[in-house]
Amino acid sequence: MDFSAISDAFGEALTLTSFIGIGGGVLLGYIIGVVPGLSRSVAIAIAIPMTFYMSPFIAISFLIGLSKGTAAGSAVSAILLNAPGEASSAATCFDGYPMARGGRPKTALKIGLLASVIGDILATMILIFVAIPFARVALLFGPYEMAAILAFALVFIAGLSGGSLFKGLAAGGLGIFLGTIGLDPQTGMPRMTFGYAELMDGMPLIAVAIGTLALSEMFVQSDRLRYERDTMAVKIGHDKADTLRWPEFRITIPAIIRGTGVGTFVGALPGLGPSVGSFMSYGMTKRASKTPERFGKGAPEGIAASESADNAVIPAALIPLFGLGIPGNVSAALLVGAFAIHGITVGPLLIRDNPEFIYSIFAGMIVASLIMLAIGWFGLMVFAQITRVPHAVVIPIVIFFCLAGMVLQGYGVFGLVILMAFALLGYLMKKYDYSFVTFLVAFIITPMLELNLRQSIILSRGDPMILMNRPIALFFIACTIVALVMLGYRTIKKPRPVEGAAAAD
Amino acid sequence: MKRRTLIATAVAAAAAISGSVALADDWRPERPMTMIIGFAPGGSTDIQGRVLARVLEEHWGQPVNVVNQPGGGGAVALTRFLTAEPDGHTFMFGVMLGLTFTPIVQEVEYDIDDFRYAGTMVGGQFGVVTRGDAPFETFEELIAYGRENPMTYAQQLPMDQTIMEIIAEQEGIDLAIVPTGGGGGMAPLVLGGEVDFAFSGGTHAQYTPTDEMRVLAFLTRDRSPFYPDVPTLQELGYPYAMDDFRSFFLPGGTPDEIVSAFEDAARMAAENPAFVEVTVDNTLHPIVFMDAAETEATIREIRAANEALMSD
Repeated sequence: MDFSAISDAFGEALTLTSFIGIGGGVLLGYIIGVVPGLSRSVAIAIAIPMTFYMSPFIAISFLIGLSKGTAAGSAVSAILLNAPGEASSAATCFDGYPMARGGRPKTALKIGLLASVIGDILATMILIFVAIPFARVALLFGPYEMAAILAFALVFIAGLSGGSLFKGLAAGGLGIFLGTIGLDPQTGMPRMTFGYAELMDGMPLIAVAIGTLALSEMFVQSDRLRYERDTMAVKIGHDKADTLRWPEFRITIPAIIRGTGVGTFVGALPGLGPSVGSFMSYGMTKRASKTPERFGKGAPEGIAASESADNAVIPAALIPLFGLGIPGNVSAALLVGAFAIHGITVGPLLIRDNPEFIYSIFAGMIVASLIMLAIGWFGLMVFAQITRVPHAVVIPIVIFFCLAGMVLQGYGVFGLVILMAFALLGYLMKKYDYSFVTFLVAFIITPMLELNLRQSIILSRGDPMILMNRPIALFFIACTIVALVMLGYRTIKKPRPVEGAAAAD
Repeated sequence: MKRRTLIATAVAAAAAISGSVALADDWRPERPMTMIIGFAPGGSTDIQGRVLARVLEEHWGQPVNVVNQPGGGGAVALTRFLTAEPDGHTFMFGVMLGLTFTPIVQEVEYDIDDFRYAGTMVGGQFGVVTRGDAPFETFEELIAYGRENPMTYAQQLPMDQTIMEIIAEQEGIDLAIVPTGGGGGMAPLVLGGEVDFAFSGGTHAQYTPTDEMRVLAFLTRDRSPFYPDVPTLQELGYPYAMDDFRSFFLPGGTPDEIVSAFEDAARMAAENPAFVEVTVDNTLHPIVFMDAAETEATIREIRAANEALMSD
């Protein structure tokens, strides 16, 4: 690696404007994370239109900072309210809330924050050391490999994010169907556009994303508002005993390292959201513990395990994105759109052709982690107050940002109609437990899959034996078949599947 | 400032009443403008257009928002552009292809007469490229190679596909043609050796200095000033050309004073150091200035030539 490039990269990440951009992203993310019910993808979907006016570097760093902030911020409401800011921090509730109730809310928050920051920085390092060498071999991944990986990702996501394979396939199928709308990439003939020129380059991504992720979620939340009372928040006092000391933090370190490993692994696999990572990490830490009975009653390792994994997922999801142009989850998929808006093609040549840019992003990510530490540490008391903002205030504000974001896209009334249609679709999918994550990822992946598949078929001249020279593609095709068989078996064995925990990203 | 706006409004109102008073060269945008680019971000049109937007911001003192509307070689953007207000605030940094070729092969809702054309700034760079270590160094060698071996070609536009199909048939080459979805998709296919040769709209500029890519022939009518040794298809004996220029397109019915304001802006941009630098140095496109009349004449001329080609 070239060291002058790295110092240049940090030079760019440390200018005042980048600092404000990245810091603003982290702060906004933190606030959104703290507010229960607002998730990371909601935040990114709403924020993408805001980045139109930023330079590409600031825009991408802003969005990544935003993701990181939500991951760290969601721990606050998990610990103080027993209501996670988003699903990925649900495992933090198990020990965070009991510890806070036990009179040590500040300690719990600090453990959560430190675990988030350390998990984040370590995973960012892993991203840097995996993605950069990977860029050298990225050209080995031609259309055959890309098509196979995308197909695998699609099946994997369909299987993991809902309980039933059939519901997963239905959601994924709808996403695929909507993903084929637009001009045919080779002949330029319109498909299923019904004469609307607006649909020629496909259903607008921002409308689909804001509709199914953010706007529909607000409808679901306002639904709940009618039945649920506000939970009581734990108040932070000025108790002398409520400080984090080194011996207590020391015992969480193995949990943080394990959490980072689990989070990175889960994040790098396509389709597995951070909630899988944090639950998996929590479970593993509990199993590895000599005193598993302490878990669920305020064990610091429990908080550390969940939060470190939650944050480690974010940089890790960028490994397939920066390496191959394949998004690892919904947030990463939205980043593809953000890259495109700023004139950067995400694909196998991304790092090779834009090394300075990507190094700057890496530097920006590390700066974001440090800003996150500062904001979280010194803003503790302020964020604790935000958990008390009632839903009745939050929901209208978010709806306003959803609509404003769509108007900024320039589709006019047409865009708003599409947005509303997708909000309704998202609402119904959430109500009837169809995975909207599967739907959305399928929608985003389909054009890529179609292009690569068609390229493969034409280049092979229809001869499947060409795959014999393509071990990577063959491997992923085999994985796809195994995954399909296993999922089918699981569905048949359990006709009434239990609700999966991995539904949300 | 306020007073000037007032006066301008009063004059504009008077002009509107009298109907025919032309405000020569006096037109200025009064709110943020939208520049439409008919191609995906990251391509050369987009890169140039974004710098052009900044140059225009300086020139007019109004923000210029860039909106990408890719698809159909510019057809999507042109179709949407039909409904744009002819007030000069929505304009297109357009590629001529959507007018000179697309209407021939595809049923589209627009035609040349539906828009106004206000000055050209950039010349075309359409070429056929291969990777640096390909087993052929010239277009003739490629044809010779193709007669012995089945070949693959990555297209980007229906037109380059048509030309290659004609040549392949004429020379007896077994050619498979794949879609790429733009220059960003073409580069990995060529560099990774997945296809033998490919169409390039300008992306090759990034890879030829390091010898990772080689231009075999240009599809344009004239040789490129940047690759003086590379012949055109016509010189090689194939009577096909795919010329293209990048100009300001305005909605039909745009008043003359707005057209001439854009013509001046095009003249200014063609000499602006930032725009020349990105066009020549970064995307290796020649700067070509044409005024409004010449731009429209060129579009009609290329269209007629293409129609003749396709009717054969």
